[in-house]
Amino acid sequence: MDWSVIATHLPFLMKGLWMSVKLATLVVIFAFPLACLIAVGRISSRSWIRYPSAIFVNTMRSNPLILIVFWFFFLVPIIIGRPVGDFASVMIGFIVFFSAYFTEIIRSGIQSVGRNQIQAGLSTGLTYFQTMRMIVLPQALRNMMPALITECVIVFQGTTIAYVVGLREFLNSTFLITEITLRPAELYTFAAIVYFVVCFAGSSLARQMEKRKVRT
Amino acid sequence: MSDPLVDIRDLSLWYEKFKALDNISTSFTAGKCVVICGPSGSGKSSLLRCVNRLEDFQEGDVYFEGQSLRECPNIASLRSNIGMVFQHFELYPHMTILDNITLAPRHAKGKSKADAEAHALTLLERVDIVDQAHKHPAELSGGQQQRAAIARALALEPKLMLFDEPTSALDPEMIVEVLRAMRDLANDGMTMLVVTHEMGFAREVSDEIVFMDEGKIVERKETNDFFSNPHSKRAQDFLDRILMKI
Repeated sequence: MDWSVIATHLPFLMKGLWMSVKLATLVVIFAFPLACLIAVGRISSRSWIRYPSAIFVNTMRSNPLILIVFWFFFLVPIIIGRPVGDFASVMIGFIVFFSAYFTEIIRSGIQSVGRNQIQAGLSTGLTYFQTMRMIVLPQALRNMMPALITECVIVFQGTTIAYVVGLREFLNSTFLITEITLRPAELYTFAAIVYFVVCFAGSSLARQMEKRKVRT
Repeated sequence: MSDPLVDIRDLSLWYEKFKALDNISTSFTAGKCVVICGPSGSGKSSLLRCVNRLEDFQEGDVYFEGQSLRECPNIASLRSNIGMVFQHFELYPHMTILDNITLAPRHAKGKSKADAEAHALTLLERVDIVDQAHKHPAELSGGQQQRAAIARALALEPKLMLFDEPTSALDPEMIVEVLRAMRDLANDGMTMLVVTHEMGFAREVSDEIVFMDEGKIVERKETNDFFSNPHSKRAQDFLDRILMKI
């Protein structure tokens, strides 16, 4: 075993890790608000809003992420008539794909707050919007926090898929270094440890919040 | 006689195909405490929830101070004059008791934080839980929570209070403290519509009894008259059963 390869190529590997973190963060930042809108559509009483939202969510959840990424990689340039680059097309694919999962988390979070809480708010003369903002959403957010964090961990793991379009995220960077150094055992062990640390920290945080949720 | 505070005309309500309220017409005068009773599924709660349009009735109309609820341009503003107390309290679990009470006065009625809090504390004093003001609902007993919910409704300075089975979710020893708070309120002249199975409360506190069955008002009488001389067979049967005459 020669662990010095990691030290030697650390700057390159860290650049890859930074790409993974950036990708995951941007995906969450854009997918979450999008998912909030679709979630409200999912529980709307108007069928012309509810059905398209449901179709979108179910289509995304019934396809593998890698297919969605390919699809946008080849489709987006056709639609706008010029290449958009690996990063942008991967981003769009990820945002669309993961917003479907976030939608379901947000929807069940909102529905976990009893209908009577809405009625209580309305009965005191608050508007529907005020009731949602001040009574339902704070409770919903607290209830869905563990699931949201878990999903963020899944997004981070999902960024490895970006290698299929040649984006140099962390795993792809590791792969490139193994090609040069012929030290796959050390490098993949290192990559596994890094993924473990990041994801385990995330799921521990989720577990912590789960406990707090039960207590209140 | 003065104009009624609440006037219900030809009111019908359906849940899908089930007709919950069947062409009800009645009215309620300011300053009276009226108990609505009847077997479960008779439409008592539905009727109560039509009075502030938490239920969207399909036929007829309800008038509050002469204002049609069906044509009301700002239902939220109308509701802010009607307090409601729910079976399961429905306090907001993520807020302190004080914040629960001041939320609507501040955001629906535009009161300042200081005014709303000062008023909230006097109301908590009135229902005897002023020491619980800074706790969260989960830290209070059921009876204390329901009294906090009454304070929350009173914070609107309402012209009418609606009680939807306020003691049904409580342990027996806590029912008394809630009924006591309600009795004091009635004695102060608050207009109250109370859906309840507490016949002791009905007999002691209410001015009138409305007896419902199958979505209709079967009987409406002054309280003493109702208990001593129920007119309909269904009301007699109901009273026998609820007063446990075997």
